[in-house]
Amino acid sequence: MYGNTNITEEEAKRMNSVEEDPIKLAAFEERIARGEKIEPGDWMPKEYRKQLIRMIEQHAHSEIVGALPEGTWITRAPNFRRKLALIAKVQDEIGHGQLLYSAAETLGKTREQMLEDLLNGKSKYSNIFNYPAETWADVAVIGFLVDGAAIVNQVINSKGSYGPYCRALERICYEESFHLKQGHDNVVYLATGTKRQRAMLQDAINRWYRPLLHFFGPPDRTSQHSEKLMKWKVKLASNDDMRNQFLDQYVPKIWELGITFPDPNLKKNDENIWEFSDPDWEEFKRVINGDGPCNAERLAVRKYAEEAGRWVRNALMSKNEKYVTPLA
Amino acid sequence: MNNNALKDLLYKMADDALIIGHRNSEWTGIGPMLEEDLAFSSMAQDKIGHAQALYQILHEILGEPEPDQVAFLREEKFFKCCQFVELPIGEYDFSLIRQFLFDHAEAIRYEMLAGSSFQPLAQLAKKIKGEIKYHTMHADTFLKQLANGNDESHARMQSALNYAMPYALGIFEKGELENELISQEVFAGEDALKAKWLEKVTSIVESAGLKMPVVADNKIIYGGRKGFHSEYLKPLLDEMCEVVRTDPEAEW
Amino acid sequence: MKNTLPHWHNLPFLEDLKISIMNSLDPRVKRLHLKSGETEPVHTNTHLVTWEVFHQDKRGKQHVHVGVVHASSPEMALIMAKEAFGRRGKTANLWVVKTSDVFTFQSEDEDMFETTPEKTFRDPAFYKVRDRIEKFQKQQLQ
Repeated sequence: MYGNTNITEEEAKRMNSVEEDPIKLAAFEERIARGEKIEPGDWMPKEYRKQLIRMIEQHAHSEIVGALPEGTWITRAPNFRRKLALIAKVQDEIGHGQLLYSAAETLGKTREQMLEDLLNGKSKYSNIFNYPAETWADVAVIGFLVDGAAIVNQVINSKGSYGPYCRALERICYEESFHLKQGHDNVVYLATGTKRQRAMLQDAINRWYRPLLHFFGPPDRTSQHSEKLMKWKVKLASNDDMRNQFLDQYVPKIWELGITFPDPNLKKNDENIWEFSDPDWEEFKRVINGDGPCNAERLAVRKYAEEAGRWVRNALMSKNEKYVTPLA
Repeated sequence: MNNNALKDLLYKMADDALIIGHRNSEWTGIGPMLEEDLAFSSMAQDKIGHAQALYQILHEILGEPEPDQVAFLREEKFFKCCQFVELPIGEYDFSLIRQFLFDHAEAIRYEMLAGSSFQPLAQLAKKIKGEIKYHTMHADTFLKQLANGNDESHARMQSALNYAMPYALGIFEKGELENELISQEVFAGEDALKAKWLEKVTSIVESAGLKMPVVADNKIIYGGRKGFHSEYLKPLLDEMCEVVRTDPEAEW
Repeated sequence: MKNTLPHWHNLPFLEDLKISIMNSLDPRVKRLHLKSGETEPVHTNTHLVTWEVFHQDKRGKQHVHVGVVHASSPEMALIMAKEAFGRRGKTANLWVVKTSDVFTFQSEDEDMFETTPEKTFRDPAFYKVRDRIEKFQKQQLQ
């Protein structure tokens, strides 16, 4: 869901009907099939460029908006180690945004245009960040499980076809390993701490469980599929596959601490597939379309940052310089 | 070596670093542009790291409690930070000017401490010299660029400088045991520091095309070094210690 | 021109206008006094140019391209690059070059490089004389 490749029925129809130069298209698809990367200067189908911009852009937006729920607790982190780790972690999210906007920029859309689309509601970001970080334990849960989910997504996408995105993702995956460790560390301290700490952690897990299931997008059986996106290695795994991978890696790590998930049906079946209760996909739709607890706040804060910072960027902008698309 | 004089110096340095680092960390995620967000955030982490290192010296060598306890469980009246660092982040012009003024004072202070008779401080000064160099380099670059950007940015920088100066001069408020520090060759004193700082800051401000504000002595904001703080410190500490206070027995 | 007094001086007018302030769990968001409800659409037009960043992790090693930063001067580009690309691991130094100053071949011209690997006469592995030496030595013994 981070790099959102969920498409509508209309989009699927349109993708299949766009005419592209057949010779160039064949060479392009052969290159991808050989496992080679597409680089910024290459010819590419219009739809490929469009879908990639959308995916990378949404990923970038997710990073900078994602910095906000955890940022809530920076000023309240309870000791030096946690304080420094949390500032560094949130800083990384901004850094990842920076890397991803730059990757998307190589496809021809400027960072400013992407930020404008975010603030005007045209572009989306990962739905999970429309939920609030209510307690310190939420920081631990986000740091461990939300980052864990993001890593599943990122590792898969790093095998995609577009060079700049893959390179950005490799760097990001490396930094995420720190996030995961410090998140897990935090979770373990809470789980093995006082009664109050344990209760705080359990409460946070209870609240984040459904949003985590929503993270990878709707079940495959209800999603629109695009063979084209798979062929072009833009979408590399199904929502259900990624969700299953996530549950497989992380549910045991929570259970081993004696913490539970609020779902009696959560279990691995005989085919090694994780089963769980329906997580209410109507809620997912409502929240992603604007009706979540924090949608308004997230955009308002980003708008504030944009407006309050405008005088700085205006002052720094060189009027005589012509902007060119970055290289790689 | 007079332990009380040393404690006084170390506490005020550590408290300054902790509080300004805490303030600057409030910008993480809402800075005026992504790259600058990253830079400011790193500098906030550096400052908090310096505070931790100084509290560690207080703990290991001078018998004070552990850094976490000193930072998160001390009452407001025992803090020795200057009021300048307590002020809210305001808009970016204020935060940048505060960074510029404070970081130059810190840079010179550590330069003076590199030759201190108190070894732990001399060693720390040498170790973090590079970090502080980046902070002043960053401040100088942004000050110059914004002072010369356009009319609005120039006016904002000047206005923020005018507002900040009476507070900034409060950095150099002398502790009661100042003379001990000087006679023991731990530190050459706030007056010496202030003189060097004024020279340095004036030259950069003027070369950026701004005017150095003139502040009458009776307008300088003192009090922090003696435990008298602005209205902003207590809410800051309440917030900083909020989670710790929910469960003082807990390990986090 | 916006009021250049410190931010916290400008709050009374908000009460006058009875604009509702967004309630948030985040204390720093609370301090921003954001208005809730509809706000005007945003137009961003402040472009800063991009600089390609090259990173050297150790003395003696090559500089490697790692990405871009947006900045308006070489000094600023270096300062931004330090934190964007040098905040972890080792860094010995960084180069920044304006994107508009970097030149490359077009993708279509990649074919110029296609036959290079075949030019084995440039390749040390192409030169094998062991067999020839042994044959000669055998002959000498006869």
